Amino acid sequence: MFPSSTKLEPANIKTSDTPSGFGGVGNIAGHVLLIALSVLALFPVYWMIVTSLRPANDIFSSSLIPTSASLENYRTVWSTIPIARMLLNTFTMSVLLTLSQLLTAILCAYAFARWTFFADKFLLGLFALTWLVPFQVTMIPNYVLISSFGWLDTMTAIVVPQFASAFAVMLLFQSLKAFPPELIDAARIDGANDWLILWRVIVPNLRASLASLAILLFISAWNEYFWPLLVTRNLENAVVQIGLQMFLTQEGDLWGPLMAAATFASLPILLLYVVLQKQIIESFMKSGIR
Amino acid sequence: MNHAVLRVNQPPSTKRRKSFAALATPYLYLLPALLTIAIWVYKPLLQTLELSFFDWNLLPTSPKVFVGWQNFSRIFELPEVHQALWNTLIYILGIIPMAVVLPLVVAILTEHIQGRARNIYRALVFVPMMMAPVVVAIIWRWLLNPVQGIAFEVFKTIQLEPINFLRDERWAIWTIVFITGWKLIGFSTLIFSAAIANVDRSYLEAARLDGATEWQITRRITLPLISPTVFFITMLTVLLGSQWSFAYINVLTQGGPRNATTNIYHLLYEFGFGSFAIGWSSAAAIVLFTGFGVLAFVGLKLMNKYAIYET
Repeated sequence: MFPSSTKLEPANIKTSDTPSGFGGVGNIAGHVLLIALSVLALFPVYWMIVTSLRPANDIFSSSLIPTSASLENYRTVWSTIPIARMLLNTFTMSVLLTLSQLLTAILCAYAFARWTFFADKFLLGLFALTWLVPFQVTMIPNYVLISSFGWLDTMTAIVVPQFASAFAVMLLFQSLKAFPPELIDAARIDGANDWLILWRVIVPNLRASLASLAILLFISAWNEYFWPLLVTRNLENAVVQIGLQMFLTQEGDLWGPLMAAATFASLPILLLYVVLQKQIIESFMKSGIR
Repeated sequence: MNHAVLRVNQPPSTKRRKSFAALATPYLYLLPALLTIAIWVYKPLLQTLELSFFDWNLLPTSPKVFVGWQNFSRIFELPEVHQALWNTLIYILGIIPMAVVLPLVVAILTEHIQGRARNIYRALVFVPMMMAPVVVAIIWRWLLNPVQGIAFEVFKTIQLEPINFLRDERWAIWTIVFITGWKLIGFSTLIFSAAIANVDRSYLEAARLDGATEWQITRRITLPLISPTVFFITMLTVLLGSQWSFAYINVLTQGGPRNATTNIYHLLYEFGFGSFAIGWSSAAAIVLFTGFGVLAFVGLKLMNKYAIYET
């Protein structure tokens, strides 16, 4: 496994001593670099939103600041594809996946951190090594199994195979390892059983880690692409990422509506980001990448 | 690996022979997650291994025919497999400048920028990580559109021959590499910045007192101390970079023009769900899985051998 990136906490940045060498000029150069990087990062997103708001006769304008705004493109999207339905599908899928992956990871990480049992290291290794199995390697048997259950084109097909996340298990296991044993002993002396210790002592104390894990799981579920692509057939049952691709294939050159649809698909996550950006960045960085 | 801190203070009574219930408890907690990965990761892995020795077209009604090693020898004769393997290498190596080198340079040059400004930059450069791959692909397709995209306006303004980024065989793969990298630059930069900020200031002070230049400090102290992080991000990029480009390939080029952008992940998908050559797809998947495992193993060995950890 990777060194679990434990040393990557962005917090405690000491307020810097007066920099010698690079000095003031270095700082200006640094600002220029970071501004350039920010523009590179933001411009495409900005352009998506600007294009989506341009009226049809103005769509090919390359003026950086829009002169007139209209919601025409959004209305077009609303009336040509079941976008509300797809957003609802995506939201349902993301909530279901977040809750189930959180729950299964809590239970599983608790078992690994709390007890020694036969084959525990081996089983933990099975979780740690799942990232070595690329999705493309398991797709055919999984597809065959899903279709033999008759689940193609349903929410079940998307959610069930990802009911648990090995990534969430490993991450929570790291937090549980560091949990103070005294608290558990105190609870046991008070007569709590294993189940109560988990839900009354550990989970409330891990609220912060669980919340940041939940955010990560939600975002990666929302942006999920490959598996929904395989098991979806109709626009009505598609999550928004797949709906977008279908829309692109059908209406490849309707740039205004396409950008409006892309904005629809990104808006929930972007809003979440605006509100929670600090927590989101930190949880992404603490956990490596997803 | 002391992975069970919680059990340190077990009461002495656990020495007694445990009841069946007590023995079964941990497994009950494990069960939901374990069943999921057993059914949806490890079982299909074994099934793919099995399918790699058969000829089959995905139809439940049509028989699977055992063909031994034939799928393996066949796929290595296919020119598109050679092309895909070569492209996979280009993806892996091509993404490194954007996901490792550039972020490292930026992180080093901006380490003195602190406080509010730093937080604002952090929030801005991280935005691409939030965007879904399909959305990213669609936006870039619009930006680079050969007729009306803004990139072509730029080319017109500076009076250069416009490039058809996604349709030109020479450019298409680099365009996808760029888009994959674009999503990662901010993330890597933040990871490196955080690692640099965690370097113990007293080393830097001591070196400064001894008259070391900033460049010497960077080269001899900062870089070695953040080497585990650099290794980590490099490994991540090498192992997963090609995989991350799948969505862009599938949305933007479907592997074309003339296989110029296909990589091994996309080829697996094409074999499986494009031409229903399940045997080929499975054999290629097994080759990929093995290669991937070897690469990961070697990477971990290298990391443990060469990364310098602060003691």
